[in-house]
Amino acid sequence: MLPGRVKWRELLSRYGIVLAFLVLALALSLLSPSFLTPSNLINVLRQIAVNALLAFGMTVVILGAGIDLSVGSILAFTGAVAAGIAVAGWPPALAMLAALALGALIGLFNGVFVAYARIAPFIATLGALTIFRGATLVYTDGRPITGLPEAFNVIGNGIWLGIPVPVWIMLAFLALTHCLLRYTALGRAIYAVGGNEEAARLSGISVSRVKLFQYAYSGLACALGALVLSGRLNSAQPTAGAGFELDAIAAVVVGGTSLFGGRGGVIGTFLGALIIGVLNNGMNLLNVSAFYQQIVKGGVILAALLIDRLVSTRKE
Amino acid sequence: MALLEMRGIRKHFGGVEALKGVDFSLEPGEVHALVGENGAGKSTLMKVLSGVFSPDGGQMLLEGKPLRLRSVAEGQQAGIVMVYQELNLVPDLSVAENLFLGRLPRVMRYPRLNREARALLAQMGLELPPGAPVRQLSTGEQQLVAVARAFAQRAKVMVFDEPTATLSALEVEQLFRLIRRLRTEGVGVVYISHRLEEIFLLADRVTVLRDGERVASTPLSELTPERVVNLMVGREVRAYQRQPHCLGAELGCFEVEARGLAQLELSLKQGEIVGLAGVIGSGRSEVLRAMFGLAGAASWRGSRLDGPLEALRQGIFYIPADRKTQGLVLELSARENVALSVLPRLQRLGVMDRRKERQLVEGWFGRLAVRPPDPERPARTFSGGNQQKLVLAKGLATTPQVLLMEEPSRGVDVATRYELYALLDELARGGLALVVSSSDTEELSGLCDRVLVFRGGRVVAQLEAPLDREEVVAHVTGARQVA
Repeated sequence: MLPGRVKWRELLSRYGIVLAFLVLALALSLLSPSFLTPSNLINVLRQIAVNALLAFGMTVVILGAGIDLSVGSILAFTGAVAAGIAVAGWPPALAMLAALALGALIGLFNGVFVAYARIAPFIATLGALTIFRGATLVYTDGRPITGLPEAFNVIGNGIWLGIPVPVWIMLAFLALTHCLLRYTALGRAIYAVGGNEEAARLSGISVSRVKLFQYAYSGLACALGALVLSGRLNSAQPTAGAGFELDAIAAVVVGGTSLFGGRGGVIGTFLGALIIGVLNNGMNLLNVSAFYQQIVKGGVILAALLIDRLVSTRKE
Repeated sequence: MALLEMRGIRKHFGGVEALKGVDFSLEPGEVHALVGENGAGKSTLMKVLSGVFSPDGGQMLLEGKPLRLRSVAEGQQAGIVMVYQELNLVPDLSVAENLFLGRLPRVMRYPRLNREARALLAQMGLELPPGAPVRQLSTGEQQLVAVARAFAQRAKVMVFDEPTATLSALEVEQLFRLIRRLRTEGVGVVYISHRLEEIFLLADRVTVLRDGERVASTPLSELTPERVVNLMVGREVRAYQRQPHCLGAELGCFEVEARGLAQLELSLKQGEIVGLAGVIGSGRSEVLRAMFGLAGAASWRGSRLDGPLEALRQGIFYIPADRKTQGLVLELSARENVALSVLPRLQRLGVMDRRKERQLVEGWFGRLAVRPPDPERPARTFSGGNQQKLVLAKGLATTPQVLLMEEPSRGVDVATRYELYALLDELARGGLALVVSSSDTEELSGLCDRVLVFRGGRVVAQLEAPLDREEVVAHVTGARQVA
């Protein structure tokens, strides 16, 4: 028994992600003088906001041993609908609320297929990915929707107390999701379903309802991301969000949440999104070609998972 | 010269001696039955033989040459094959492909492959279509394919561990024909079963293990079913014996219907412990699962149990046999696991009441004497016995009237086992009714007021306390029917 060592490992597996982030930030601040400036850091936070929002919802799904591939398409569709009805004259606040409700509803649709029809989450949400991309193209007729009311601009580009509104939204949703997972009975049930579905079922947890909630929450997160994104761009693009599911999943797994469910949390996901964001930002500052950036990003994701695997297998 | 010779095999796990110097031998063309109660060491001995475990002492000789195995693969190379219930067949490949799996030619020529398969099957006396995907065969037929494959790979020793548990009567007959064929081909067969009538149909010789020791190795002709039961049980002092007590008021009645089971009614009194005995596949586990709404159709006090939620609402809780895969969420803390069954009671407006939760969990930790007494440790770090206490705490937290337990002491060390029995007794005295399904007859006869013995999906005997363990074993193994 080597208590000292065991503790080290525990610390490494729990705070390794923080360590990785600090090392990365330190390296970048040495390499580029403009990295460690307040305006650049705020810029990074603003850049990661949309991905982080999707990733928070994705964390809830993955913790329950699911996956949601449709986030990019839900984002596009809810963004387009919000913009469309706002331009058509709905009050902006109502349009936004309607978009959020629509996002949750589409998530619920995913959840029904996963929880009741027992279709593998990968397949069910892959179907939704295609359906809602198509629905977006139908709704927008393949053209961007522009001329959004000022309220959207505030959501996307506004600044409050020196911090961009998207960053406030991201932090608020982070806090909400964290409290949901940590302090509510539902959060506990999500961990239980992801950790051992059979044990959860035998304990009297309604597994189907928990799954419905997970996907609905992810849908809600997508709609929130859609409002931020269309606010930023002052338009709704039919192709918005394509490929976002992969960035969101990357943030979740880099953040230490197990793809098998039951282990991890949303704070880790935030750090994961931050690491990916800082990496992008740093490489831009260092004038790394966009081609190479992709290779580096992929390498970092693999390295994060490899380290996690090494730490957790040694634990046993 | 014996085909296989095992001499003085020893094996211990931690402080427990599972095998205390066991001798075992096998002649070519012999069917050698290995019998004993659960925990007697049968499986351990066979796992040593097949290379799963390396023995702590003793030696093995195969055809006179020393045998030292470091893996199952080496065992198979040497010609020792285990036929398990889970068969290592590829369901979507054909019978022929499965028969020659691992030795398939680089380029498949199906006519030739099927021809060779047909010849092999004919040699084994089997009539199976070589081109059919294995998935389409019945469980029994799949097992026959697995046996034929082992034969094709020139197995010298074949071990059958409870092969008939999931087979129909017709399939059992086919399997026996195949085993007799193996005998004439000079293969040595080790046959493990709890069903004595099978052993008396098939075996040439019987070896009885008890508590890791060989107590007999005798030609079948010199044995009777009673004698075998006697040897299995021994004359030891009964381990745990519940003190007699009075039963309370009638609590209610279960009505159970499930596929492959005869309809069953079971009424329970407060404070009663009812045992369900029977071999694997006898139906006792299915009945227990049905009583928690997990299979078939069951009702309690006249109202239907459609699922675990409904059963919980009716005051029933089910404790599964496998704590790791069914009982606990291993990554979560002990506290979170215990609270899992009562989340609705520990929340206000969806938010967990941490203080109430801690109080509840600490209360159960104290009452059940869980060790170590730290509810924040992950569930996976607790020992088997203490994990069982965690599952029990989770169940008791729901304040059930009826507790259903599957194999309550499997994987629980002896000391904790006594504690567990005393606890169950205390709970029963408090008015709880328990239904315990177990393959451990010692446990059932020591603990229960009443034991229902299952065979082939129906209750064949109902025994009342004071229970005689030999009587229970005789009914479970079917010695009563054979005699």
